[in-house]
Amino acid sequence: MEFDLTTFILEVINFLVLVWLLKRFFYRPVLDVIEKRQAATAKTLADAETVRREAEALKSQYQARLADVDKDRAAARAALAEEIAAERTRRLAAVEAEVNADRQRRQMLEARERSEREAALEREALTIATRFASRFLDRLAGPELNAKLAELALSELDALAPDKLDILRDPGASIKVVSAYPLDTAQRAAFTQVLGRLAGRTLAPEFSDDAVLKAGVCIMAGSWVLMANLRDELGFFSGSLEHGG
Amino acid sequence: MGKPEFLELLVFHLGPLHVGVTVLATWLLMILLAGFAWLGTRHLSVDAPSRRQTMLEGTVLALQQAIEDTAPGHAARLLPFIGTLWLFIAAANLMGLVPGLRSPTGDLSLTVALALLVFASVHWFGIRIDGWRTYLRHYLDPNPILLPFHLLGEVTRTLALAVRLFGNMMSLEMAALLVLLVAGFLAPIPLLMLHIVEALVQAYIFGTLALVYVAGALQSHELQHED
Repeated sequence: MEFDLTTFILEVINFLVLVWLLKRFFYRPVLDVIEKRQAATAKTLADAETVRREAEALKSQYQARLADVDKDRAAARAALAEEIAAERTRRLAAVEAEVNADRQRRQMLEARERSEREAALEREALTIATRFASRFLDRLAGPELNAKLAELALSELDALAPDKLDILRDPGASIKVVSAYPLDTAQRAAFTQVLGRLAGRTLAPEFSDDAVLKAGVCIMAGSWVLMANLRDELGFFSGSLEHGG
Repeated sequence: MGKPEFLELLVFHLGPLHVGVTVLATWLLMILLAGFAWLGTRHLSVDAPSRRQTMLEGTVLALQQAIEDTAPGHAARLLPFIGTLWLFIAAANLMGLVPGLRSPTGDLSLTVALALLVFASVHWFGIRIDGWRTYLRHYLDPNPILLPFHLLGEVTRTLALAVRLFGNMMSLEMAALLVLLVAGFLAPIPLLMLHIVEALVQAYIFGTLALVYVAGALQSHELQHED
């Protein structure tokens, strides 16, 4: 194919026209829409970045709030622990005081029970000892023992409590002195003198003897009876022993 | 050559001007390309691009990126010229595959016109960027003795650009015609498949060389600025 000048010139013009046409109808519209999309994408990215920053700020804010809440909770826990410790100490002190008071009260009760028990034991021992002595003396019963018990009763009358002697002071009361063996005159005078001194007036006791008593005397003034004989197991002396030690 | 030419029926004379098959084929291509461009870009959407729009954008971005890789910073300015070279030459080369039509790039007048346009565009872009004095001074670098070689290089590369495209496309069609005459029906099909590859490769080579020439002129100016 040979070179043709007309074709050459027309092709130059054709190509330049084609460049203009494609620039006008192809490159420019496509590049414009690409640019718009890139701008939209950039705007979306910028919006996303803004949202991300806002989210970061909110996150930081919430983390700070959480830290404050944790701090407050820790402080509240510390205060509560302190309060619990104080309450525990207070309650322990109260319980300890109560326990001490209870212990003291129990010690007092124990001491009192122990003393009462000791006293009861002592009384029982005295009763047994008196009973033993009276039974033992029962074999030795006789005028000598009777005299000795009468002397002993005379000497122990002074140790009687004053309230037990009120009956003696009653003018209407009849006073009897019964002995296992007949008392001699001196012994009767001694009884009359001692009873009169205790009654605070002159008495005339009625003396009699009763072998049932085995040995010793029995003084009766109304309802009041003083038993210092083997039959009644020397109850009068046991009382004096108890008081005299 | 014995091949039926549909466009030969439309050839006419306009006074002293002879509007031949090549010009008619070029007009047909221009109508098709411009028509496709106009139809394809009528309903472009920013929010919901269609598959066709995606294809068009991909084509433009690929062209732009290829230019940007060779001439950084000048893609926007060079895209219409270089991109049109690629599209037009590829379409013109493939036109020969259509029965009854012939590749207009098999005409030396067209390839020379394109080569001269590339030659002119190199100086056009160079002068637009740096002005006459600065642009013409690079012919004297690094030594004025090299001026004849510079000028000879300008002529030979332009000539080579025109002849390479013309020779390849004309020889391809000629070879296909000869094989058809010798071997008969369906025999030149492999050669026609080679035609497709060759058409695209030649379009790529022509456009890339044009881009390299323009970019070389721009870079030589930039180097002068740096010096």
